[in-house]
Amino acid sequence: MRHLAVILAVLTLAASAAAVAAEAGAQITVALLPKKKGVAYFTSCAAGAEQAAKELGNVTLIYDGPTDGSPEKAAALIEKWTLKGVDVIAVSPNDPEVLAPAMQAAMAKGVKVITWDADGAASSRSFFVNQATGTQIGEAMVDAMAKDLGTPAGKVAIVTATLTAANQNAWIAAMKAHLASAYPKMELVAIKPCNEDQKVAFQVAQDLMKAYPDLVGIFGISSVAFPGAAEAVKQAGRSGQVLVTGLATPNAMKGYVKDGTVKSVVLWNTRDLGYLTVRVARALADGVLIPGATSFAAGSLGSKPVAGDAILLNNLLVFTKANIDQFDF
Amino acid sequence: MKLGAYRYWHETVLAALIAALMIGAAVVDPRFVSWKTQIALSSHVWELALLAVPMTAIIITAGIDLSVGSAMALSAVVLGLAYQAGANAWLAAACGIVAGALCGTFNGLAVAWLRVHPLIVTLATLAAFRGVAEGISLGRPISGFPASFTVLGLGTIAGVPIAGVIVALIATAAGLALARTPSGLSLYAIGHNPAASRFSGLPVARLTVALYALSGTCAGLAAAIYVARRNTAKADLGTGLELDVITAVVLGGTSIFGGSGRIIGTVLGVLAIHETREFVGWHWEHEELNAIVVGVLLIAAVLLNRLFTRPTR
Amino acid sequence: MTGAWLRSREAGVAGLILLTVAAVGTINPRFLSVENARDILIAASPGLIVACGATLVIVLGEIDISMGALMGVCAAVLGKLVSAEHAGLPVWLATLIVLSLAAGIGLINGLLVTVARVPSIIATLGMLTILTGVGDLLMAGETIGGFPDSLRAFAIGHVGMLPMPVLVALACLAAFTVLTRETALGRRIYAVGSNAHAARLAGLPALRLKVLAFTLTGLLTGVATLISAPQLEVIEAGFGRQFELFVVTAVVVGGASMSGGAGSIAGSALGVLLLSLVRTALIFLQLGIGATYWERAIQGGFILAAVLADHVSRRRRVQR
Repeated sequence: MRHLAVILAVLTLAASAAAVAAEAGAQITVALLPKKKGVAYFTSCAAGAEQAAKELGNVTLIYDGPTDGSPEKAAALIEKWTLKGVDVIAVSPNDPEVLAPAMQAAMAKGVKVITWDADGAASSRSFFVNQATGTQIGEAMVDAMAKDLGTPAGKVAIVTATLTAANQNAWIAAMKAHLASAYPKMELVAIKPCNEDQKVAFQVAQDLMKAYPDLVGIFGISSVAFPGAAEAVKQAGRSGQVLVTGLATPNAMKGYVKDGTVKSVVLWNTRDLGYLTVRVARALADGVLIPGATSFAAGSLGSKPVAGDAILLNNLLVFTKANIDQFDF
Repeated sequence: MKLGAYRYWHETVLAALIAALMIGAAVVDPRFVSWKTQIALSSHVWELALLAVPMTAIIITAGIDLSVGSAMALSAVVLGLAYQAGANAWLAAACGIVAGALCGTFNGLAVAWLRVHPLIVTLATLAAFRGVAEGISLGRPISGFPASFTVLGLGTIAGVPIAGVIVALIATAAGLALARTPSGLSLYAIGHNPAASRFSGLPVARLTVALYALSGTCAGLAAAIYVARRNTAKADLGTGLELDVITAVVLGGTSIFGGSGRIIGTVLGVLAIHETREFVGWHWEHEELNAIVVGVLLIAAVLLNRLFTRPTR
Repeated sequence: MTGAWLRSREAGVAGLILLTVAAVGTINPRFLSVENARDILIAASPGLIVACGATLVIVLGEIDISMGALMGVCAAVLGKLVSAEHAGLPVWLATLIVLSLAAGIGLINGLLVTVARVPSIIATLGMLTILTGVGDLLMAGETIGGFPDSLRAFAIGHVGMLPMPVLVALACLAAFTVLTRETALGRRIYAVGSNAHAARLAGLPALRLKVLAFTLTGLLTGVATLISAPQLEVIEAGFGRQFELFVVTAVVVGGASMSGGAGSIAGSALGVLLLSLVRTALIFLQLGIGATYWERAIQGGFILAAVLADHVSRRRRVQR
């Protein structure tokens, strides 16, 4: 019985290897799913992905996602692509829990599923193109704030996307833990949602500064919350007294970094992230990338390390007045 | 033959539109119209269909329920918390449905007894129900439901999704109740003239409360199906669903002023929205187009209806 | 006369505002600062402006729910027109184009409702959906920045003590109060709203009034975009989303009736102020991080209480 199982396993492996070999280099379709379509951050990732597809020449790229960031619509897109028979689906899950069943179903149908930008449940994808983990991102924002403040002490507040945003909630958890362990003198006094509306972020930040006159810092932890909060500090004439940091594309923040409202912006090279994702998708379809690999040749990005099932982009960037002009995305 | 004599013009036009869409789709991409694809894509429509049924009855009485998406979220969260607290998943689903029914009853009481305009009541509870859902769940997702429960959202009977069977049964029952029972027929009277209905002895208040309670109950059932399908209960589900539901009902020929409308029209309205959306997504891969196409479809359908029916007032 | 006013809806909402301000001010005196009042008024001004038009529409027995998406389209068009990175048109020309576009969309709404006899909630729901998609396509996933300084200065500037947006809002409120209370046009609008049939028999041009109200609402949405979008350095897709929900709720809280004929500019303005206060008030109460999750429920409860309390008291008056 056991022999039979072994033989079967070997046969399946051989068959799949043969299938893979036959496919290698063939035209494939890769679907790239962002958390929310229409956001500058994801648009710049898509530009990088487009570049990789063009370089490879044998990848048809689909870039689509929910314009309102709805997890249900994202899951519906995954199901649609599975039915259409795309070869690889690269998911940036706006809600890992909601998307997991659809991703698992896609894998069961033979579609290669990877995550990028944010990870999903390990059972719902084969690889994760990791620019940084949720913990790393949360800690990087707290560290940037501490460094900008000079003396890491005083009241800080978070302006988040929505109260149900899965990624932001993961970062907040990491930020809370890191604040408690590394900077006990920094006190988190409020977490307020802006409902992904820049105007609301602006008003919430205004209110926070008045309600807590001794506030020293605001984290804007979405690409909408960050510029809104920075604008509020700038208009209140408190640039330099209340520091703002967070995640956003450099183009959206250049003005605030130059006038000193924002000292550092935490992000990674988004074009590179999109580029690497498509490269990984291609390699996976070709059977070149297999579990156990320790490095990955990512075209013009050179060799990227692989840790377990994560391909690391490894370039968490901090944009400051000194370097922000070198980036255009 | 007089145009006005045939009662099913709207349904006929709608059915023709859907048929035309499907034929066009079959030419462009035969895979889209295959049975397998259609069955798989149908899972995206059950909640919408389920909520559209009671919404039809409510709009027939010249009412409206904007809180259905929020009531669904609250029901889902109650379901999730009950399950987390150790209840059996099916018992938890029952708790969720009861929560939905309570939401609906609240709306109904405010509309019938306090005589507040339903648009106003449900505009307020749209915020309130979702607020309570966020509050009791702290915005966190609850997942890990057993396979014995997720079958409600994923399972099939003889190739037909279980959720679809449930929706079909409820729609048929509602269609018969509206067309054949005294209570159902009196809803049309309420929609035409509530004061006259009251004076002629119809239990307007009781029927109204029952109707909104039913809407809440269906929201609870929709929540259970959704949670089973996505294996997750969370306070943000069903956001904006109310507008889709109203669009489907009006597309189906129910007059927003009350007094007319049929379940069969709503079923076609739901189908028209569903197929249009899925095909636009399937063929063009641009989510932005979905909104534009559905909006145009809605206005065009009402304009077409004007062409085929005579002015009633 | 004063007695009647004290029992009016406006007095009720004003009382609720005073009560909220007093309660929050007692707990946290910083809430009462001039700065805070100024910020609340600036934040409320787009709502105040658009509520003027929305009130007319609701008094006429119709409804407009397309304002939020229209605002998004206006912001995108404005950005594309004036930004140096895009068309780089002169500010006056871009302003003119945006205002005509906004009024044009309002006009289409009005014609759909009157000439094509599409129910207003359906016509404007369709418009809301279409404009949401158009706005997303126009933004094309980019941020638009680089508003010229003159436009920025207009949106965040002051005239004496008064911030520019507040000044524009006050001007709109004054104009529409005069329009509704002192002119024949205003009286006709209320006449049509309270009894369309009688108004038609009296020869009032109900359809033309409705077209006017929808067009004005569109135009005011354009104005609101002009004073609010350049307050931000960059705009992103989704600008103005759900704004319609806020305005309609505020007008309803301010006493307008969904069946037409009732409602006032003053009431709607107070409704906008009350709703704008709630979020700020919750922040100043410093309820702690856990309470954040209950904010939406508190806001919803507040709206519900305001609406239900008024209806209960009105019914009691009627019964007496």
